[in-house]
Parts: sequence; C-alpha cells; structure tokens
Amino acid sequence: MDRPQGEILVTLPLHDFFKFLTRRSLHMAGFIIVIMFVVIGCTAPYILTRPEEAWGTAYDLRKAFQPPSLDHPFGTDAYGRDMLNKVILGSRYSLIIAVGVVGLSLVIGVVIGLVAGYLGGAIGTTLMRLADMFLAYPPLLLAVALAAILGRGVLTTIIALAVSWWPWYARLMYVTVNSVKVAPYVEAAKAIGLGRVAIMFRHVLPNSLIPVLTQAMLDMGSAILEAAALSFLGVGVPPPIPEWGRLISEGWVYISKAYWISFFPGLALLITAIGFNLFGDAVKEYLNPRLRNIGGGL
Amino acid sequence: MPISRDYLVKRIVMLFLVVFGVLVIAFIITRVIPARPELLWAGPHAKAEQIERARQDLHLDKPIYIQLYYYLADFLRGNWGVSWRTRQPVLLDIISCLPATLELTITAFLLAFVIGVFLGLVAAVNYNKFVDKAISLISTVMASTPVFWLALILQTVFGIWLQVLPAGMRVDLSLAIKTGFKPITNFYLLDALLQLNMPVFLDVLKRMVLPVITLMMYPLGLTIRMTRSLAVEALQELYVKALEVWGLPKKLVLYRYVLKNVIAPVIASLGLSFGYTITGALMVELVFVYPGIGYYIGMALLSFDYPAILGGIVFVAIIYSVANLVVDIIHAWIDPRVRF
Repeated sequence: MDRPQGEILVTLPLHDFFKFLTRRSLHMAGFIIVIMFVVIGCTAPYILTRPEEAWGTAYDLRKAFQPPSLDHPFGTDAYGRDMLNKVILGSRYSLIIAVGVVGLSLVIGVVIGLVAGYLGGAIGTTLMRLADMFLAYPPLLLAVALAAILGRGVLTTIIALAVSWWPWYARLMYVTVNSVKVAPYVEAAKAIGLGRVAIMFRHVLPNSLIPVLTQAMLDMGSAILEAAALSFLGVGVPPPIPEWGRLISEGWVYISKAYWISFFPGLALLITAIGFNLFGDAVKEYLNPRLRNIGGGL
Repeated sequence: MPISRDYLVKRIVMLFLVVFGVLVIAFIITRVIPARPELLWAGPHAKAEQIERARQDLHLDKPIYIQLYYYLADFLRGNWGVSWRTRQPVLLDIISCLPATLELTITAFLLAFVIGVFLGLVAAVNYNKFVDKAISLISTVMASTPVFWLALILQTVFGIWLQVLPAGMRVDLSLAIKTGFKPITNFYLLDALLQLNMPVFLDVLKRMVLPVITLMMYPLGLTIRMTRSLAVEALQELYVKALEVWGLPKKLVLYRYVLKNVIAPVIASLGLSFGYTITGALMVELVFVYPGIGYYIGMALLSFDYPAILGGIVFVAIIYSVANLVVDIIHAWIDPRVRF
C-alpha cells in the first residue's frame, strides 16, 4: 500500500495491455512486426552485409537482374546491387519519415488546436476553418502538389506530408481542449490568477495530450504508406536513397523480367503497414471497454 | 425530407467557402512558397524575356492581395493555365479526362461498399469465430496494401504473365476503329451500350477489372472493418435481444434492423474513403495507362507540368468537397436521427 500512486497509474495499464495482447495472436503479431520494424530501422546501417550497395555507391553490372537466391534472397537490381540490403536500409527512411511527419504534424496540430480550443471565439473559429480548408483536399493530393513545388528530399517529403496532416490533430486537440478547459483544476488555476498562456501550456496541454498522442501512434502506418506513394510518384525521396516507394518505382520498368526489384520492397511496405494496423486495432479495442468486455477478438 | 432548405443553403455556402479555401491554399503553394515562381512557371529552358513575361503574366510586380484577386478571377473564368505537356488549356484537358476516372472510381467505390457491408455483417454475426478472424485479417491486409504496388503486381501477373486480362488502356484502339466506336459522353461503358457495340463494351469491361480491383482494396477494407465493429456493438443492444426473444429469424433481425443502424455511420464515413479512392486512382491509372485525371496528374508530375498538376489537384479537391456534401445529404436521408 505504500506504493506511490503515480506508479500504479502508469504501470498497471501497460501491464494490463500486454496481458491483453497475449490473449490475441494477431494483435500480438502486429505488435511484434512494429517492434521489429523499429529495431531494424534504428540499427539498419550496422546490420547491412553490403553497405556500399545499399547506399548506392557501388555497383557490379555483371550481377544485374539476378533472381532471388541464397546469396541474394531478394535478388539484385539493374546495377547488380543486393535488394535485401536496400530493403533493410529502406526501413530506416520509412521510419525517419513517418516519425518526422507525425511529429511535425503533432507540434503544429497540438499548438493550433490548443490555442483555438482554449481561446475559442473568433480566433478559434478562424483557426479551425483554416484546418478545414486543408482537409478539403483528398488525402495525399495536397502533399503531392507541395512536394512537386518544394522538390525532392527527405525533409521536403516530411514537410509536404505534415502540411496536409496537422489539421487532423488540430481538430482532435480542439475537441479535447474544449472538454478539459471547463475542468475544476483549470477554474482553480484561473482563480489564483494564473495568466492565460500559463494555464494553457501548464494545465490544459498536459491533460489534453493522451487522445492526440494515441491517434498519432495509430497513424504511423498511413504515414509510411503515404511517404512511399509520394516517392513512387517521383516527388518524394530522391535517388539513390533506397526508400521503399522509390524502389518499387525503380523496378517498375523491369517488372516483367525482374519482378523482385519491385516485389520485395512492396512486401516490406505491406507487412509494416499490416503490423501498424493490427497494433492500432489492439490499442483501439483495448481502450474501448465495450469491445473489450465481450472477450475474444482477433 | 429530413433536410431543411436552410440547411442545404448553409451547406452550399460552406461548399463555396471551402472551394475558396482550396484555391487560396493552391495560390499559396504556387505563388508564395517558391522563391521565384516566375522561374517555375516559365519552365526549365526559358530565356530571360520569357521569364520576364511570366513575371508579368503572374502579376508578380503587384501586391500579394492583388495577385490573389487575379488568381481567383482567372480560376473562375476557367482560365487555369495551359499545360506545358499537352499545350492545351488545363481545364479542357481535365474535363475530357473526368469520365474515365469517374467510371473507374464509382464502380470501385460502389462494389467496395456493397461487398464491404455484406462481409462486415458476416464477420460480426460470427464474432470471434474462424470466419470473423479470417474476414478481419483480410480486411486489415486490404486496408494496408500500397495500391501502386498491388497495381503493378496484378498487372504483371494477370496482364503480362498469364495474359488473361488486358494490362492497360481503356479500350483496344484497333477494335474500336474496326467496329466504328465513337466516344460521345466519354463514359465508354455507356457509349458502347448506347451504340449496341458489344465487342467494345466487353473489351472496356475487361480492361476495368484490374484497376477496379486495385482501387477497391482500401475502401473495401475500410468498409468491412467499420461495418464489423459497428455491427458487433449493435448486436449487443437490447433491441436485438428483444427481437430475438420475440422469435424473429436471425437473418431478418440482421438485414432489417441491425443493418439499418449500422449503415448510417458507414455512409457518413464514405466521404473519406471516396477521398482515398480518388487518390488511389492517381497511382492506379498511372500504372494501368488509363487516361483519366489520375493519369493526367501523374504524367504532369513526371514532366514537372505545374499548371496541370495544380489544376488537376484543385479540380479533384472540388469534386471531393461536392462528394462529401452528397454523402452528408444521403446520410441525413437514411438516418432519421440526423436532422438538419
């Protein structure tokens, strides 16, 4: 009983969540895929067996277009580079871009949602209408236009996607802040004479973050897919960076005689996205008591 | 009619505001973000006087609000610039591409909706059984598939290796010429049907199979997941228990009562999945050389044809906004709880 209360609050749900995961094989599989993706993405440069080929600095035309074999499990590309190494290194770029897009959108969305929600009135309405204007574009299209103008690059890809992504978080944050700002502790902070900025950032912000952070985690899979789509369309990451979408478009021309150049990066993309979606389902189902109590699930 | 006229007027005013917003964002992207928009506009091989002319054409010597005014006025007049690639007015290009995309996206979208709701209900009824788990896994895979990759794989397997389906284009041109096929509405299925041209009709249909399957994946996965989770919750409701206790057959309860409660939120979410279908069309049309708006924008991207890229994207955004309005109206029509 002498355990500090804060610890109970933090550890119990996590422990509970893992127990929840072990009862559902598919959700567990999603969790494992996500962990593997993150680990491979972080350690990619150190586990490559042929780093020069993966970075695109070495080539051997005599080994071009080799089908999958023991030596090259994913085959080789048009310049005789090992595809497995390229795909492994590609995970790093997918990870960097996904974290960058979601992180940058979070910063913009949280601040705008917070300000709009707490201040309300004309400022709030204007900011939220601004967010709506961005949402009037179908997914990805605004990012495509922006990326085309900004030029190719990892950073420009992140910016282009984040510009079309933040309004979702701003909206969610706006709704959360609206319910948090009427809480008694906010009233109390007002009563002791704290300024608006102090209340917003010290009291409202920390108490409004959970929903938007959860959503951000669920969005990682889509961020990876959309970044790959941008690169596939030739406006995302430039060569020779082995981003998965770019690798798929690279193999496009050779698809009828060397399917593996496009196939394996796409497979990696598919498995990663499945992992994030299954994991997202697990989180959603865990957080939804109605579904949780029926039992079973995936 | 559950929708009041006031609400409709309000929504249409909102629609215009949103379109205005779309144009302002497009303006910012083209005129404010690039360091020197005139260089972009004059093209990569422009001479000094052409750049100067682009500068004047874009009114870059005027203050920014005047620039915005000219920009909006040009858009409203239908002057969306000339495509560098096709050397035609962008708006004309887009309108001639539109039927191809609509034919594809609407087919994919409707199929995804009908199949998705059905499979979602089947999964929910068998909650936690093998069928449910299989359908859920398949729907997750569908919603996770990169469309452009799937398009490439399907095209290679069925179009090039097995040769059971044509691998691209809307219609076999030589067949169309031989049978005297004339596109009138540019909806080829409709045109072929009206001209009683069965060979062309079948050819067009066959060429739609792979793109439609690819495009269908994401909205189908989304609809299954959505329907399943809504129906699982709905089946827990007391009214379902009551109907079952009354002795109504399970199927009747499902299709008469549960479906009604599930379908409204599913329809409400259709707008978003229509957005994904349109975005998917961008890549699917490019892979299948299917000359719709997606192909047009894709080719514009590959050739850095900025007026065409922007025109295409703004046009799609406007269609998307209209589609969202239509979805909301259908939603209000189906769900009596939603009264505007």
